[in-house]
Amino acid sequence: MSFHPFRLSLILWMALLAACSAGPGTDGLKIYRHSLGGRPTSLDPVQSATVYANHLVVNLYDTLYAYKYLARPYQLKPNLAVAMPEVSDDGLVYTIHIKKGVHFIDDPCFPEGKGREVTAADFVYSMKRHFDPKSRSQGSWLWAGKIEGMEAWKKAGADYDRPVAGLKALDRYTIQIRLTRPFPQLVHTLAQGFSAIVPREAVERYGREFSIHPVGSGPFRLQTFDSVRAVLVRNPKYRKEPIDLAYEGYDPERQARYGIARIQGKVPPLVDRLEIHFIKEGLSRWNSFTKGDEIQFASIPRELLDEVLLKKQPEVVLRARYAKKYFYTSGLENGFVHTDFNMKDPKIGYNPDPRRQERNHALRCAIRYAFDWAERNRTFYNDMGRVFPGIIPPVVPEFDPDASKESIRHDPEKARKLLEEAGWNAANLPVLTYGGVASVTSRQMFEQFRGWLTRIGYPKEKIQFDSYASFGDYNKAVKQAKIMIVGMGWGLDYPDAENTLQLFYGPNGSPGSNASNFDDPEYNRLYEKSSVMQPSPERTAIYRRMNRIVEDACVTISGLSRRYILLWHKNVVSYPDSSIVGGFHLKYVDVLPEGQEKK
Amino acid sequence: MNRSRERTSLWAKAWYKLRRDRIGMISLGVVLLYFVVALGVWLGLWGQGWSQVEGPMWAPPGPKYWLGTNIIGQDIFERALYSTRTAFDVGLVVAVLSTLLGGLMGGLAGYFSNRWADELILWLMGVLDAIPFYLFVAALAYALQGNPYAMHIAMIATFWTTTARLVRGEVIKLKQFEFVEAARAIGLPRRLILFRHILPNTFHILLVQATIVFVGAIKSEVILSFLGLGVTDGVSWGLMIAESTQEVQAGHFSNFVTASSFLFVLVMAFNLFADALQDALDPRKVSA
Repeated sequence: MSFHPFRLSLILWMALLAACSAGPGTDGLKIYRHSLGGRPTSLDPVQSATVYANHLVVNLYDTLYAYKYLARPYQLKPNLAVAMPEVSDDGLVYTIHIKKGVHFIDDPCFPEGKGREVTAADFVYSMKRHFDPKSRSQGSWLWAGKIEGMEAWKKAGADYDRPVAGLKALDRYTIQIRLTRPFPQLVHTLAQGFSAIVPREAVERYGREFSIHPVGSGPFRLQTFDSVRAVLVRNPKYRKEPIDLAYEGYDPERQARYGIARIQGKVPPLVDRLEIHFIKEGLSRWNSFTKGDEIQFASIPRELLDEVLLKKQPEVVLRARYAKKYFYTSGLENGFVHTDFNMKDPKIGYNPDPRRQERNHALRCAIRYAFDWAERNRTFYNDMGRVFPGIIPPVVPEFDPDASKESIRHDPEKARKLLEEAGWNAANLPVLTYGGVASVTSRQMFEQFRGWLTRIGYPKEKIQFDSYASFGDYNKAVKQAKIMIVGMGWGLDYPDAENTLQLFYGPNGSPGSNASNFDDPEYNRLYEKSSVMQPSPERTAIYRRMNRIVEDACVTISGLSRRYILLWHKNVVSYPDSSIVGGFHLKYVDVLPEGQEKK
Repeated sequence: MNRSRERTSLWAKAWYKLRRDRIGMISLGVVLLYFVVALGVWLGLWGQGWSQVEGPMWAPPGPKYWLGTNIIGQDIFERALYSTRTAFDVGLVVAVLSTLLGGLMGGLAGYFSNRWADELILWLMGVLDAIPFYLFVAALAYALQGNPYAMHIAMIATFWTTTARLVRGEVIKLKQFEFVEAARAIGLPRRLILFRHILPNTFHILLVQATIVFVGAIKSEVILSFLGLGVTDGVSWGLMIAESTQEVQAGHFSNFVTASSFLFVLVMAFNLFADALQDALDPRKVSA
């Protein structure tokens, strides 16, 4: 059999087109192509520590609670739970009823391959996994020491058939959690991917492969997953709960422009196929986005901000040629960046000699006065971040807009004076090491920091860069308290200042989340007192007092909340959120047929 | 008498030939100019403001900042000058040490050819050559974390093999010569024969190799620094080019153009000089 060259090239061309399409059997399907800046390493809820993993996990599995799609400030809502929990008067016992008739997806791990009903026992099992050393949980810290009997269960060998006093399935649809002390943020933790509900059959059948073989009851099921993308398809068994926009916090003034009203009454998930592309390079993501035939959601790469934006402050405005094609939203991140001093280092932190300790305090304060937040914001955050004093960022309700700005004031003269008064001079100043990843941006941040310090008389050769090959290595060194000056970023796990205040709580020192190893008795006492309190003006007052303690101790140079800008194509009906609502928003995304997009 | 002996020596003929090579001499002049720049930085005469962050962000070239400033307001010209010193630091250290090592190992392998010492050195060279260079440097950088000389060590460990192979071949040839036979006949110990009589006769190879390695080291340093595996403290053209990848997208080209130009001119001049030197020291051409 012979082929005419034209025929052969036609066949090859068609084969190429087929290879480039969304895949076999996708004709007529509603497809939404989302993008993320990184790839999840595991889809097992106990290991969903990254934003990327969390995005997928909350779409593949159910959590008891979730965040309302459109409400800002964020509001919790029941998800698999029937209602918000019933909490005992002492705040120690939570009773949660779950919905009946919810099923896991069909999978060979179940008898005859048919997904069975999700029960309270599944939640108990899923939570126990965090305390089973074999699971290598990255989220156990959320509940460590807080659930009655959990530590004892772990010590006794983590036998899943043995009960835990504080975690019970009272019946098929009722969960009871008994806490060792009040934990007002518990419900927030039950809205995270970490608390997603998995079936024991699947974990036992797939073993380590469970991390790439999710079996859940979420709005989607996984079709394929590799280093480039994950393809999720609609879970036909997902419960039918029509969207009530008013309940989800719809604000026509802010959100009508995105055409959100169209999804009222529809049943999520609204697309048949969800493709999540993992594209690390911002420019590649942008190129794929602007071509129009690939991903439909992206953020603006830093280098292109001037080209894409007409105005950065006080609000973001896109240039007309982009605004015509894309919807966009912007806001402050749910977190902040800060630079900590490692208090475990006697050269700059706590020192057995009280006089030296005092001088170290003056040194830290001088460095803080040398730090120029306005310049850092201009250089690395496009002048779009918000600089605030202390460790309570603007996105949480406890933020104090009237707080003193002294800790973020750039005053080289005062810095020099402080050094002089404490007896520091070029000869006796200690060698500072500033930690960072071996990247251009980290190095430039260090060089800028060094430049500021040389202006207050710090000898250049006494400020060194402690470079690490990867973020993993850097983080490991931070956990081992090896780095003297630590640049950090923190994303809130839940919208409560407790989540940032715990970063300076003494017992959370290295290898915990307290990278500064700050350990102040008064601060610790206040943290312990406030951590069991429900939100109230009294708790807010305590939070603000703790904020001032951290500022007065000059233990951190803080902080700045970065501004994000998210864009999506106009044929996509969406209100994306990259952090707190995160992946929960994906089941509400709709894609309009050609020609129906809102202009 | 002395004068006529000088004229007939290999070195005199080579120098005579080199002087008549106009491109070679211009290249040498450019290399020397760079060397003077590096020397000035070493002596603290210029390039000392490379780390200051006094200027505005991305200032255009002007009377105050001749080649403009980068994102954090550092003077690009000062940084380019200081990077010349970094290039010579790396180039000289790597060229000298890898040439010495290559000469020594090549000499030993050649002198003891077809014996276990030769086999061992050949095996070692084969193993080192088989490892992709950048992977090897990345592994070494990881193993020697925090060591500012990780890059130098990696380059020396890989660059010496080429020199060693060339020297080995030359030594194998030289040891058949009558002057070596004579040395053996009068009972000179092996080490004297090798180090006093044979290796000095491979000097022309070592000289040319050193210039080639020098250029190779500078280029590798730039690539490694660009990848974040190179210079850990200070600045280099590679770091400047790495910085510029973000700046070029935003329409600021000074960092990129400056670092690339400095690098291009030096590498080009060194390559042309190495070619001229090779021609001048080639015994067949010199004696022709």
